[in-house]
Amino acid sequence: MNEMIVETTNLTKCYGAQKSVEALNIHVRRGRIYGLLGRNGAGKTTTMKMLLGLTKATAGEAKIFGKPIGTSEREILPHVGSLIESPGFYPNLTGTENLKIFAELRRIKKKDAIQNALELVGLPYRDKKLYAQYSLGMKQRLAIALAVMHNPDLLILDEPINGLDPIGIAEVRAFIRELCDAQGKTILISSHILPEIALLADDIGIIDKGRLLEEESLAALEEKNGKYIRFLVSDAAKAAQVLLQTFKTQNFKVENNHTLRLLDTTLPVAAINRCFVENGIDVSDAHVFEDTLEDYFKKVTGGVGIA
Amino acid sequence: MLRLIKCEFWKLKRKRFVQLVVAAAFLFPIPLTYLCMHWPTIQAHCSTQAEVFDMMWQSVLGYGIQLLLPCILGIVAALLFFSERDNDTFKSLRTVPVSSTALVLAKVAMLFLFSTIFCVASTLVSVGCGLVAFEVQGIGYKLWMSIKMGVYITAGTLPLVAIVVFFSKSYIFSILLCVFYSVLNDVGTFVMGALPKAIVYLLPVPLTTLWGATDMQQHMAIGDADDLRAFAGLVPSEATVILILTGMAVISVAIMALLYKRRGE
Ligand SMILES: Nc1ncnc2c1ncn2[C@@H]1O[C@H](COP(=O)(O)OP(=O)(O)OP(=O)(O)O)[C@@H](O)[C@H]1O
Ligand SMILES: [Mg+2]
Repeated sequence: MNEMIVETTNLTKCYGAQKSVEALNIHVRRGRIYGLLGRNGAGKTTTMKMLLGLTKATAGEAKIFGKPIGTSEREILPHVGSLIESPGFYPNLTGTENLKIFAELRRIKKKDAIQNALELVGLPYRDKKLYAQYSLGMKQRLAIALAVMHNPDLLILDEPINGLDPIGIAEVRAFIRELCDAQGKTILISSHILPEIALLADDIGIIDKGRLLEEESLAALEEKNGKYIRFLVSDAAKAAQVLLQTFKTQNFKVENNHTLRLLDTTLPVAAINRCFVENGIDVSDAHVFEDTLEDYFKKVTGGVGIA
Repeated sequence: MLRLIKCEFWKLKRKRFVQLVVAAAFLFPIPLTYLCMHWPTIQAHCSTQAEVFDMMWQSVLGYGIQLLLPCILGIVAALLFFSERDNDTFKSLRTVPVSSTALVLAKVAMLFLFSTIFCVASTLVSVGCGLVAFEVQGIGYKLWMSIKMGVYITAGTLPLVAIVVFFSKSYIFSILLCVFYSVLNDVGTFVMGALPKAIVYLLPVPLTTLWGATDMQQHMAIGDADDLRAFAGLVPSEATVILILTGMAVISVAIMALLYKRRGE
């Protein structure tokens, strides 16, 4: 099943001269969890706002369920649940009363929809506590309940685990996974926390300064950033020659005069070592490294370089 | 639309200003009753106790509904219209989806409801006082008149609401705006003989005063019948009043919807 639930073409948003989102092309497939990963200010929220019609795109277009968001809002939005940035509710009402307002507006017929949604996020039904008295995590939970209450086909969640404690995070992660696996929902989730996305998402889009740098399935990304062997040698250029001639491989990188990175880890390390020494190259270190996704994320977003 | 209005009501739960609005309806009738009972000029002016009550009720209409109601409406409007901004609920409403125009219309409908409640309460309190102190006649007409007056004043106050929404500043600023608008209207009423007709007609209080006084004259004893004759050329028909106010209301609502749409982004 490769049906696109969300698809954008050259989606762009300018605030004045600043391009918050630039020529973004993301593809969210049915029944998958898509993680939009980016640092603060990368444009995640702006992208999601455009998808929900909360702000108009400056250029480009976005399609949800195959329909353009600009003109088919009324058909699309009832099947979308969303949480954008911080939760917003009426402080003078309880959680249940707040949800009741939105249930009424969404014309939800099912009587226990509110109760189910609250149970899902671990909030009490018909509690007397006012929203104004909620803790940060409770507010966030209520916002998630609002997003899932009407049983939408697509969930757009902007940093949904903000403010949740570790157990809460695990719970939310579990039920997002469950929504996707058991009920076939499509989920677009954003975060600046890579491990979170790595644990949850099937597909990942990395966005930085408004541009999409990578879009790949998690599996492909992990493969791409597999192991490598780092050699610290007296003469990296000479070592490269040896690898080319003796081991017939080009799958390596010379990082500087003394560092060489061999990406093909199937080659025998001991033999290479011996060969280097035989050719008069001193080897001070040969080490197998595994780039974590974290390192990769830092690398592509131009963060602090890898070790 | 009805759903939206219903939800606007739910949102008001535990808000104290609803009670305050009803309490404000008591503000003028009680002291005015006392005044009318003890002010010799009034007692001398009127031949029956029913006439005294008529005059008392007219003052309630003048002070309570024409002077106080625009202020109350401005404040209630600020509370209603700022609520989505203050609570950051705009995004949740927009993604339902609720259009900004529908939201504005629901809130304007709330204003009309509020003013009706206020006017009915005012008249009922007056009647209560009247039953104790004077004689009461023509309750039906007075209720009907006060509701109409309330609706007209509300329609005429919508430009003020549009201005409040436009500035979207603090509550204090909005309240100051309302007081300024009320005073402006009252000054307008005092000097309406000297003003161009267009301006008099664009200020809701002078406009409704002119029409209301004439209308009431036909139904009951009125204190300043001679004064009224001086404005004979200026008095609008009810149809004119409705036309002008509807026009003002429609334009204001359109502006508010536009503002709300832009704010939503
Ligand atoms: N209403 C606005 N007016 C002007 N600039 C804006 C507006 N909203 C966002 N921006 C700018 O757009 C850029 C992207 O912001 P956005 O909120 O999409 O980032 P984000 O990826 O969600 O970041 P975070 O992880 O901090 O939530 C930022 O540089 C921000 O300053
Ligand atoms: Mg954000």
